[in-house]
Amino acid sequence: MNLRVMLPEGEQKFREYIHNLKTNPLCQRPDLNSEPFSKGFSPVISIDETKHFNSKMELAEYLQNCFAGAGLKREDVLPPNGLWTWLAYVWFDQLAPITNPATAERDIKEDAKYICSSDYRDYYRHLVSGSYSIYSLHSADNSNIFLYSPVNEHNDFIEQFASRQFIISHKNIVEAIHRLYFDSQRGQPKKGAQTRTKPGNIRRFVSVIQQFELTYDIYTMSAESILNLLPPEFNDWKT
Amino acid sequence: MKRRLNYTGRKKIKRGNVSINFIRQNGAVVAFEVNKLDLSELLLPPEARVYVESYYRTELKRFEFGTAGSISHPSSCNLRGMAYPENLKFRILVVDQPTGKILARADGISLEEPAEKKPILPVEFSGLENEIWRVEYEGDEGSPVLIINSRIPNVQNIAKQDAQFLIYVYPQVIREVLTHMVFVDGVDSTTEPTTDWHGDWLKFVRLLGVKFPERLNKNDENFSKEDALRWINDSVSAFYNMHSNKFQEYIKKLEETPL
Repeated sequence: MNLRVMLPEGEQKFREYIHNLKTNPLCQRPDLNSEPFSKGFSPVISIDETKHFNSKMELAEYLQNCFAGAGLKREDVLPPNGLWTWLAYVWFDQLAPITNPATAERDIKEDAKYICSSDYRDYYRHLVSGSYSIYSLHSADNSNIFLYSPVNEHNDFIEQFASRQFIISHKNIVEAIHRLYFDSQRGQPKKGAQTRTKPGNIRRFVSVIQQFELTYDIYTMSAESILNLLPPEFNDWKT
Repeated sequence: MKRRLNYTGRKKIKRGNVSINFIRQNGAVVAFEVNKLDLSELLLPPEARVYVESYYRTELKRFEFGTAGSISHPSSCNLRGMAYPENLKFRILVVDQPTGKILARADGISLEEPAEKKPILPVEFSGLENEIWRVEYEGDEGSPVLIINSRIPNVQNIAKQDAQFLIYVYPQVIREVLTHMVFVDGVDSTTEPTTDWHGDWLKFVRLLGVKFPERLNKNDENFSKEDALRWINDSVSAFYNMHSNKFQEYIKKLEETPL
């Protein structure tokens, strides 16, 4: 089907549907693929609503290919929130999968995971736009640490790093994060990276970078230089 | 926990010394221009490099503006290729060239009133084992974030409306943040602090009508710990007084609840 942009009335219906599912898992998903609930996106882009994604990375790659095929860049597609809300609506079964087939109960998270928010506190939590935004900026190689997980999961690397404008906007910092905490052989983050009590864990990285931000001109540094600046508590992660 | 210590003597570029405008074509933002960038009062090394950065969310673009001694404007400050151009903010950095250290800085410069007003205390809901709440200093520039335990049923509504929660939690959060600000970070100025979030909280306390002590800088030899603690207590009391209706609501609820 062709890509659409959710309109305010559609967003409201979608929100009500998400809320209703919590008490009535069998409630019917409303048809929001027509005005006044949504409108067609220009240019016309075909989206496979039945496509299954094994990871956030696959989802982001698919969208990148769709947009690139239509000659669109990230700045052309990121701003309209309604586009991302509509995509979450279309792929909702994957983003909020049924966890109990007997009752049709779903794994439903906060609204911001499905309804694309303008709020700086949770815009990055959207399960579709968050993945695409990171992938389109940092390329596949350095996006792995954020996009390794299933499409319905919001992992701690997104929460800690993507929520911070200074970190997620610096490609060199993201490359350093990837080199520190991602195990390329396993295709997973290194074990213990999220453990608060472990020296050099990801929260410590955030704290240290926030201090560097005020002291050094990080922008001009290579990822290697950033790694070299880190205190010894991070040494074990560099191997 | 991040501490905002300014060991490097980094200087603050006053907002009044900076003026930036958007350039529009057919109503859309396509570039910006810097009308004023006065660094003269900061006595910076003339060879230090000057940069202006535009940013928002994942977007970041840097522009070179010559040196502190000879500011030169790029031929074009083109913002094409950046998503959300209407929302962009600006950061100015003066960087010591050999060391790469930041000598002066201004951040969060908005050209228009932001649509989303930033609260001084963002709230996050997250698992905290058996704690009800905690303040973490992990926001922008080490600013406080209130973490409330998401395991508490219906906690998002409780945190917004419940009188008991409001009078038990928020005054103590204010006490915690002000204590951190004064005794951990150190407030280098009550009028123009180097740290932006300190300025936001000082403004908040002023709005409560609390009288400030002469000094809040713990490194000042005339700093009085007692005066600072009294100021913090006064601020908490003023907050309680401002929300006395919540206190009454709480008492009424208790009186109506059968023992």
